[in-house]
Amino acid sequence: MFIEVSGLKKSYTTGEVKTEVLKGIDLKLGKGEIGVILGPSGSGKSTLINIIGGVDRGDSGRVIVDETEVSKMNDEELTEYRRAEIGFVFQFYNLIPNLTVGENIEVVANISKSPLNINEVLQAVEMEDKKDRFPRELSGGEQQRVAIARAIVKNPKLLLGDEPTGALDFQTSRSILQLLQQVNEKFGTTILMITHNTAIAAMANRVFKLRSGKVVEEWVNQELVPAERIEW
Amino acid sequence: MVMALRKRVMRILKENNRRYLGILVLIILGSYTFIVAAGLAQNLANLVTTFTEEHRQEDLSFRADRVIPDREGLEQAAGVVIEDYLSFDAALSDTLTLRLLSATERLNTPAVIEGRALSGPGEILLDPAFAGANGYPVGSQIEAAGKTFTVVGYMSLPHYIYPLKNVNDILSSPQEFGVGVITRGAFTGLDNAERIYAVRFNDRTRSLNRQAVELRERLRADGITVSDWVDIMNNRRARLVWASITGMKTMSVPLPVAMFLISCLIIAIMFWRMIRRDGVIIGTLYAQGYRRRELTRHYMTIPLLLALAGGVIGSLLAIPSLEPMVMAMVSYYNVPVPGVELNFLHVLTGILTPVLFLGLSSYLVIRSELRRSPAELMKGEQQKTKVNALERAFKLERFKFSTKFKLRQQFRSISRLVFLFLGVTSASILMLFGFTVMNSMRHVFDASETYQFEYEYSFRELQFGAAPEGAEAFNAGKFYPENNQEIEFYIAGIEPDSRLITLTDLKGNPLPNNQTNITKPLADRMGIKVGDTVTFISKEDGKPYTFQIDAVAASYIEQFIYLPLAEFNQKMGLPENSFIGLFSTKKLDIPDEKLSGFKTMGELPGAMDEFMGQVVSMVVMMTVVASVVALIIIYLVTSLLIEENRNSISLLKIFGYRRREIRSLILNSSTPVIVAGFIAGIPLALASMGAVYGYLGKMINLVLPPIVSPLYVVISFVTIMLTYQLSKALCAKSVETVAMSEALKAGTE
Repeated sequence: MFIEVSGLKKSYTTGEVKTEVLKGIDLKLGKGEIGVILGPSGSGKSTLINIIGGVDRGDSGRVIVDETEVSKMNDEELTEYRRAEIGFVFQFYNLIPNLTVGENIEVVANISKSPLNINEVLQAVEMEDKKDRFPRELSGGEQQRVAIARAIVKNPKLLLGDEPTGALDFQTSRSILQLLQQVNEKFGTTILMITHNTAIAAMANRVFKLRSGKVVEEWVNQELVPAERIEW
Repeated sequence: MVMALRKRVMRILKENNRRYLGILVLIILGSYTFIVAAGLAQNLANLVTTFTEEHRQEDLSFRADRVIPDREGLEQAAGVVIEDYLSFDAALSDTLTLRLLSATERLNTPAVIEGRALSGPGEILLDPAFAGANGYPVGSQIEAAGKTFTVVGYMSLPHYIYPLKNVNDILSSPQEFGVGVITRGAFTGLDNAERIYAVRFNDRTRSLNRQAVELRERLRADGITVSDWVDIMNNRRARLVWASITGMKTMSVPLPVAMFLISCLIIAIMFWRMIRRDGVIIGTLYAQGYRRRELTRHYMTIPLLLALAGGVIGSLLAIPSLEPMVMAMVSYYNVPVPGVELNFLHVLTGILTPVLFLGLSSYLVIRSELRRSPAELMKGEQQKTKVNALERAFKLERFKFSTKFKLRQQFRSISRLVFLFLGVTSASILMLFGFTVMNSMRHVFDASETYQFEYEYSFRELQFGAAPEGAEAFNAGKFYPENNQEIEFYIAGIEPDSRLITLTDLKGNPLPNNQTNITKPLADRMGIKVGDTVTFISKEDGKPYTFQIDAVAASYIEQFIYLPLAEFNQKMGLPENSFIGLFSTKKLDIPDEKLSGFKTMGELPGAMDEFMGQVVSMVVMMTVVASVVALIIIYLVTSLLIEENRNSISLLKIFGYRRREIRSLILNSSTPVIVAGFIAGIPLALASMGAVYGYLGKMINLVLPPIVSPLYVVISFVTIMLTYQLSKALCAKSVETVAMSEALKAGTE
C-alpha cells in the first residue's frame, strides 16, 4: 500500500489536562487512489492528516508513505519529505497575499527538483489568464484552484486536502472536486482529503470514518461517482 | 476606562516589549537631544552676549602709525569710544608665548573669573586655559618679558574669547599661546610693545560697517595711516564661539524632530495593525455597549504613555547633564560663567512635543479605524482588496524567485517601505554628517598640500629688493565684494615661479602661479567661475579693483586669490619690487620691531591633534547615536515584517523550505531598501553639510569644504549593514518560533 498507518496515537497536554486525539489509528491507501476521511469536529482528522504530511508527529505507532517510515524521521528529514513528496490544499487556501497567482505557484516550484511547467499547471486549473492577479483579486473558488495548482506543481506523490471545499458554495465546491479528480487521473497523484461532507465520499476509492480518535468505519467504493454528479 | 481594559494595556506593552522599548529609546533620544542642544545654545548665547555687552566688546581694532592726537575730538565727531591698549608677546620658551595686554577701562574690560583684580604693576591676570595647561595657579609667579608677575587671578576678555595667537588662525593651543593682563604701568621698559586701538560705536542701530568706513575716512583725513584693521565680525577670537552656538541651534531642532517623526510613524503603523487585529474584540465591546470614546481612550493610553515616559525620562537625563555640558563647551572658550540656566520652556517642550506628535498621529489612526460599524468589525480583519501602485507597477518576471519574493515583501506596505527608507537615510545622514565634518576639518587644517614654507613673516612697512635665500616675497591686502561687506578675504601677490605655494586644480594637476588663481572655498562662496572678471573693494583704500580669474584651486585652507606679485603691485599702485611679507623654509633673522606678525606652520599640528581629538569623539558619539537609531528602525520594521508574514512563514515551513531559506527570504528582504536608503543619504548628507557650512561661512568667515571621503562612506555603510545584521539576529528567533500549525489553523485571504 502507498500509505500504511498502524497503531498511531497522539495526545496533547494542556496544563494538567491530557487529551488523547488519536487512539490507535489504522489506515491504508493504495497508490493513485483517492481517500476521504469523514468525521465530526474534534475526531482527530486534521491531526491524522498533519502527521501523514509530516507537519506533526505521533506519540507511537507507524506511518509509512511509499515505503518510507515517516514516523522515524527527524526534523530535517521531515522537511525534505514535505519538500519532495507532499502537496497541501487547505480549507482557507492559504495563498501568500503579496505574491501574484503565478508567484504563489512558484513558491513551491522554486524548491522542487523537477516541477511541472507553471503555465501548464495554471492551464490545468483554468487560471492561466489570471496569472498576474493577486489573491485578493480572486474569488474563493479561484483561490482554491490556485492552491491546488500550487500543490500539484511539484508533482507530489501525495496530495493532502484539509476540507478543500469547506469554505466554498455548492457549485464552486463541485468544480474543485472535479479538478481534484482530474489531477488524480491525469498525474496519478494519490489524494487523501478530510471533509465533513459525506456526499463527497462517493468520489473516493476508500473512505475512513473517524470518531473520537479512532477509525470506526472504513469502506471501499467499488463504483466511483464522478465529481460532477455529486449532489448535496 | 474600565479596570479590566487598563490591565490589557500593560499586557500589550509586555507582549511587544522590545518594539515599544525601541520607540521609547527614540523618544528619549529626541527629548534629550532637544533639551541639551537648545539649552547649550541658549546658555552659550546668553553667556557670550551678556559678557560682550557688559564688558564692552570692541567693534573693531587697528594699529596706527602714530598716536591719535585728538582722541576725544575724534570720539565725539565719529560717535565712538576709542581706547588704546598695549600688547607685547613675551616668549616664555621656544614654543610658549604669553601675550601681555594692558588693562583697559572702557572697552574689552577683563572679567575676573577667579582671584581678584589687579592692584599693582607686579600682578597679572591669566587666561585660565593657559594657566591650567602650563601650571600657573593663583598665587604663583610667572616670569615674562624680563619681569616677575604674581598671578592674582584668572580673567576672560571679550576680544579673546577664543585665544588665538593670530586673528586668522583657526585653532587655539593653550600649551603654546596664552593671554595675560597687566597694568599699563607694568609695560614700562617694554619698548617694543605695540599700541592697538579698540573702537566701539555708540550708535548700535546704524550699520557698523558703514560707521567703520566713515571712521577710516576720518582717520585718513587726519593723516593717520592705519594697519591691521580687524572688524569684530572677522575676528575669530570673538566669533568662533558663535560657530558652536549656531551648531547647537542647528542640531536642536531637526534631530529631535526626526526622532519624534520616526516614532510617530512606527507607532501609527503598529496601532493601525493592532486595531485591525483587534477588530473582533472591538466589535464585541461595541456590541456590549462600550462607547467609541472609551475605546479611543483605551488605545490612546499606550502612545501617550510612551510619549510621556520618553519625554520625562529624556528630560530627567538632560537636566543634570546640561550644566556639565555647558561647562565643557565653555572650557573650550574663555567666557565667565555666573550660572547655567535651565529653561523650563525647553523641558516642557521636550516632554510635550512627543506627546503632541504621537498623540495626534495615533488619534488620527485610531479614530479612522474605530469609525467602522460593530458588525463590520466583528467580521474580523477586513481584507485588503486593493493592490497598491507599487505592487502593480513593477513587473518582476525577469527576476529569480527569491528576488521577486523579497521585493514583493517590501512593496506590500508603502508606509513601511517609506519608514524603513527614511529611517536608514536619516541614520546614514547623521553618520556621514559626522565623518564629513571630520574630513572637512582635516582638509582645512592640512596646509601641507598648499604651503611648502615653515615660517611666514609680515612686516610693518613695505620692503624692497630681493627676498633672502630660501624665502619668497609676497604682498597682500584685504578685500570684500561690492555687495557684501561681511565677506572678507585676502588677495595676495606671490612670486610667479613660487615653490612655496603649490596649488592644484580640481583634478589634482598643478596650477602655475603666474596667473590669477582663486581657492575653491572662496569661489564657491561667491559663485565665481573660471574666466569671470570680478571687482572687489580694498579694505585699505575703499577703492574697487578688477581681476580676471584664470583657475580655481583645490585648496581648502583659506579664502584667497593669488596672482603674480608684479601684477598685484601694479594694480594696487604699489612700487615695483615691493613686498609686505616673506614665506620662508627656514627661520630668518629679522628684528621684532620690523615685524607686525610671525607665524610658524609647526604650531598647527599640536593644536590640530587636540582639536581633532574632540572632533573624533563627537563623530564617535554621532556614529553611536546613528547606529542605535538605525538598529531600532531596522529592528522595528523587521519585526513588523515577521508579524505580518507569520502565515507565510508557517506556509513556507509546511512546503518544506529549510530554515536558512526562510530566514533569507524574510529577513533579507529589506536589503535593497537599506542599501537604497544609504545611497540616498550620501547626497543628502552633502547637501545638508553644504547648507550648514554656508551658514558657518557667514557666521565666522570660515569656509569648510563638504567632502565625503570614500573610506568614510565605506565605514558608514559597513556600520549600517552591521546594525542590519544585528537586528536580523535579534529577529531570527521570532522566525524560528512561528509554528506550522498557524497556517494549518488560519484562514487568510
